[in-house]
Amino acid sequence: MNEELDSQLSAMFDDELAPGECELMARRLSRDEQLKARWGRYAVVGAVIRAERGVRLNAPLAGRVSAVLLAEPALTAQSVPSIPQRAGLRWWQPVAATALAAGVAAVCVMWLHAQAPGYGASLTAQLSAAPIRSDTPVIPASVALSAGQPDSYTVPRTPKTLPGVVPSTELANYVVAHSMFSPPVARRNLLSAFMTSEPAPGGAEEPQGNVKKTTGP
Amino acid sequence: MSRRPLGRKAPLLGLALTCSLAGSAVAEEPAAPGTSAQSPALTHPTAHEYAPAQWLQRMNDALTTRNYDGTFTHWHGGRLEMLRIIHRVQNGVVSERLVSLDGSGREFIRTGQSLVCYLPDRRTVLVEQHTAHEPLVGLHFPAVNDQTASFYDIREIGHTRVNRRDTHIIEVAPKDEYRYGYRLWIDGNTSMPIKSQLCDAHGTVIEQVVFASLALAAHIPDSAFKPDVSTEGFQWLRNDAPQAAGPPPANSLPWNAMRLPPGFRLTVRSAQTLPGSANPVDHMVFTDGFASVSVFIEVQGVRAGQPSVPQSATVGSSSAFSTVVDGHKITAVGEVPPATVQFIATQVQAQGPVSAGTPTR
Repeated sequence: MNEELDSQLSAMFDDELAPGECELMARRLSRDEQLKARWGRYAVVGAVIRAERGVRLNAPLAGRVSAVLLAEPALTAQSVPSIPQRAGLRWWQPVAATALAAGVAAVCVMWLHAQAPGYGASLTAQLSAAPIRSDTPVIPASVALSAGQPDSYTVPRTPKTLPGVVPSTELANYVVAHSMFSPPVARRNLLSAFMTSEPAPGGAEEPQGNVKKTTGP
Repeated sequence: MSRRPLGRKAPLLGLALTCSLAGSAVAEEPAAPGTSAQSPALTHPTAHEYAPAQWLQRMNDALTTRNYDGTFTHWHGGRLEMLRIIHRVQNGVVSERLVSLDGSGREFIRTGQSLVCYLPDRRTVLVEQHTAHEPLVGLHFPAVNDQTASFYDIREIGHTRVNRRDTHIIEVAPKDEYRYGYRLWIDGNTSMPIKSQLCDAHGTVIEQVVFASLALAAHIPDSAFKPDVSTEGFQWLRNDAPQAAGPPPANSLPWNAMRLPPGFRLTVRSAQTLPGSANPVDHMVFTDGFASVSVFIEVQGVRAGQPSVPQSATVGSSSAFSTVVDGHKITAVGEVPPATVQFIATQVQAQGPVSAGTPTR
C-alpha cells in the first residue's frame, strides 16, 4: 500500500478527509480487500478496544464505526424471507465478532449515505446515546404515567434509516395523522419536509386491500 | 475537512438567499373584527420581559390563532426549498395551506375538519375527514411545563434583527439524546417565529426554516385555500368522516408501551381510519411536552405485499420505524431521533386491560 493511500485512510479514520475524497475512498474500500483489511484494523478493532476501555469516541467517525457494527443485524434481517412474529428481535441480537468483514463493507455504504448532514448527525447521536445509560434511564410506561422511579435501559441499536426517501402513501398517512398532534413549529417542519422530499419514481402508488378509492373529488 | 462544518454552512447559505429576496419583510395589517389577529396579547409593543417559556407559549398561540401568509425556505440535508404557508382562523374555523413552491409541487390543505394532501408526483390525493366535534389541531399540543424543563434547558440567548424585525432568540436544548432541540428567533411584536433551527443534542443544526416574507393579514379570502394542482387523472384515497376517529374498539387488544424514554407519557389514545385503508388503526401519542411520537397499530396483512421486517425511514428530521408484533404492524413516527422511535415502537405490546389512569381522548 502506498504512503499516500495510507495517509488518506488515516485521515478518513480521523474524520479529516474531504467529503469528496471520503466518497472515493469508500468506493475504493468496497473493492480493495487489502485496503478493507487495513480499515478494519484502523476502525473496527480500534473502536471496539476504545469502547471496551470506556473511551468516548469523538466526531462523526464514532457514529459511522458504530453503524458498521449496528447495521449488521439489519442487513441479515432483510435477507431472511420468513420472519418470526417478533420480527424486531433480530435488531436486538448481539453482533458476532465474526461479522467484521461484512461490517467493513457496510461502512462503505454508510459513508455514502452519511453525506447528508442530518443523517450523519443522527448516526453520531446513536453512539453518543450510550453514555447516558446510567443517569437518564428509560422509564417504564406505567411508571412514567405516575411520575415514579425509572428502570434500567439498554440503548437501542441504530435503525437503518433511509435519508430523503419519498414517503409511501402509507407513511404519508402516518405523517399527516401525526402532524395533528405535534407542536406548531415541529408540525410545520414535518409537513415542510414531507412536501420537499425527493419526488417519487413512477406514477401513482396502487393501494392495497379494500380501500376507498375514486378517480375524482 | 469534515462533513459537519459543511452542514453548518448550508443554513447560512439559505439565510443569505432568503435575505436577498426583494420581498423579505414582515408586514402586519390592522386586525379586522372577528379575526384572531386583533388579540392584544399577541401584539404587545414592548413585550420584552417575558420568560423564555412564555415566549414559547406566545409563539405557539401566534402560530395557531393568527392569520398569516408567508414564504419561507426549508433547509435539511443539503436541500433548500421554498414553501408558502397560509393560515387563517375565521369564525372558529381553521384553514391552512402549505405549498411546495419548488420540486414536487405537493400541497397540504386543511379546511375545517378536512385534510387534503395533493401528491402530484404520485398522482394521488389523500383525503382525511374528521368528525365535526373533534378539533384537529390545538387541544392536543404538548404543553411546556415544569416537567418539560427537566428534559430541556430553555433560555433566551440573545436579541437580533431578522428581516427587519427585532427578535428574541430562545434556545430549547435537550438534556439527553432522545430528543432534538430548537433555536427560535421570535418576533418581539407579533411572537411569530421568523427563523427556527432544529438541532441535535450536540447543537448541530439539522433543519432550518427562515421566513423570507410574512404578512399578518386581517382577512384572507377563501380563494387562497384552493390548490394549484390539477388533479385530472389522479386517484383519490379517502376515509369516511363519521367513523374516522373515536375510542378504540371495545374488542381490540389493549396496546401499551412497556417502557418509554424519560419524560415521555401517553397523552392521546384513539382509533382512526386512514385514507386508503378500510380498517381502523389504533393511534397512541406520547409526548415529553415538546416533542411528540405517534404509534400506529394495525393488523399486519391488510396491506398485502408489504415487507414484514423492521423498517426505518426519515421525513426531514423526523423519524419513523415499523416492526411487527403478534401479527400487528407497529409504526412509530415523531420529530425525534431515529433511536427514540425505534425504542418506543419495539416497546409496544398487547397487554391486559388498560389501567384506569391511562389518559384517553
